[in-house]
Amino acid sequence: MNAAVDLVRAEWTKLLSTKVFFWLLLVAALMGGGFTALFTALAGAQNGLPPVGSPEFTEVVAGVPAQVAVIPLVLGIIGMTQEYRHRTATPTFLVTPRRGRVVVAKLLAYAVAGVAVAAVVVAVTVAVASGYGSARGAAPDWTADTLGTLGRSGLALVVFAVIGVGVGALVRNQVGAVVGSLVYLFVVESIIASIPATADAYRFLPGGALAAMTGTGGGGGIDLLTAWQGGLLLLGYGLVAAVLGTVLAVRRDVV
Amino acid sequence: MEVRGLTKTFGSVTAVDSLSFTVEPGQVTGFLGPNGAGKTTTLRMALGLITPDRGTTTIGGTPYAALRQPARHVGAVLETAFHPGRSGRDHLRVYCRAAGLPASRADEVLARVGLTPAARRKAGNYSLGMRQRLGLATALLGDPRVLVLDEPANGLDPEGIQWLRGFLRHLAHDEGRTVLISSHLLSEVEQTADRVVIVGAGKLVREGSLDELRRESAGTVTVRTPQADALAAAVAGPGVAVTTAGPGALQVSGLTTDEIGHRAFVAGVELHELSARTSGLEEVYFRLTAGAEQYAATSGSAS
Repeated sequence: MNAAVDLVRAEWTKLLSTKVFFWLLLVAALMGGGFTALFTALAGAQNGLPPVGSPEFTEVVAGVPAQVAVIPLVLGIIGMTQEYRHRTATPTFLVTPRRGRVVVAKLLAYAVAGVAVAAVVVAVTVAVASGYGSARGAAPDWTADTLGTLGRSGLALVVFAVIGVGVGALVRNQVGAVVGSLVYLFVVESIIASIPATADAYRFLPGGALAAMTGTGGGGGIDLLTAWQGGLLLLGYGLVAAVLGTVLAVRRDVV
Repeated sequence: MEVRGLTKTFGSVTAVDSLSFTVEPGQVTGFLGPNGAGKTTTLRMALGLITPDRGTTTIGGTPYAALRQPARHVGAVLETAFHPGRSGRDHLRVYCRAAGLPASRADEVLARVGLTPAARRKAGNYSLGMRQRLGLATALLGDPRVLVLDEPANGLDPEGIQWLRGFLRHLAHDEGRTVLISSHLLSEVEQTADRVVIVGAGKLVREGSLDELRRESAGTVTVRTPQADALAAAVAGPGVAVTTAGPGALQVSGLTTDEIGHRAFVAGVELHELSARTSGLEEVYFRLTAGAEQYAATSGSAS
């Protein structure tokens, strides 16, 4: 048990002793705050957005944190692939020859890092929406429903950090893993969603599950899963990536 | 440390072929062989980083991956691996945590390798010599009894090599640690090693003490004397071979010039020449590994 805690803490020491985490956290906060400010500025029927203060607008704001999901994804990918990129996998696996433990420690450590990213992004989003919204007429009125969306929106960030670690363990090349997953999310999935014959499958893909979780991006008449189904599916993707990544990390030679 | 029948094939290349040898405790063992002989692959298999096709390695009877706290038993420098944006001190603290060691060990090993002044600088800005020291510091974190170093002198300047030799001698001979150090140059380990394990093309070529190898390199002694028969009789004995090399000249092997000179003096034989033709350790090593290079250059075919 102590050894497990030590390993997770070792991962946090790695995370906090380079600048990657701080920069990604900053970018995530800027993106969350920026999107919220943009939505608030353009709120109103003439721009096709619900007016500030309406429950619909609050729902839009609640979905903002999920829009920065790529940041924890990239964080998780870098966290795993840096071991191979900088060849620190050698000392890491020398200290902990049971490599599965390293990957599990990373998954836990990055889940917590994902919570930190989610907390910051949600806080910035709510703060901007309240401050700027009040200036434009009304601060969001948080109900149980919209708070639920906000919570799931933040939870999506945690899951994406976990998926990132799993993807990184699968594709050990850092550039390949980052570029590949971005191309997948923004190109492959949108193409699948845009072709009527394959659009049905979209809801079962990670992007579709993310959209279902926060009730965003469901335009174009595509049926999405319910929020909780989406959340579970996304978590499932995270676990599959993690398990596959662990198995491969244990089996592959470290040369 | 016992290596038994290690074999590893990469595609069609057999990098290590049924390799067995023993690393004796409390000694410095030089692990020698030309580039591509399979030294790094062997060390990585011994430390559980590469899965061998066949064979086992045990350290004190236990495979590396089954050691409860490996960092406390074995320290290894396989390459200078660190995140360039992380300070040397933070690098060490990461592995302190992972190994369950107090964070203060990081500062202790930094002081041991003389890196304290650079402790808080980013490792990416370290010179090659400093990187090697950081690698060594990482290996020393758990105060292990066994140290494994893969080509530690590669890329070091003469001053760095000097320091490294002294440091390894100290770790082995003064502190009694077991050291396994790989190199493609015999001269690099000649001054530190007690034993050598020589490999070529993934196979064991020779295993034994450096003294044995030195004896083998003693070569032959040329003696010129007007009393060849008397001398031949005087030096004859077990392990001594005498051949005639022309009128009044003999080739003697198995004895040193001192020994031959003494026996000649005792027998009252007049000597005109007594000269040793030693082949040298380096030549013996070269002969043992000749033809074992993976990519040997074709010699002198160009005109």
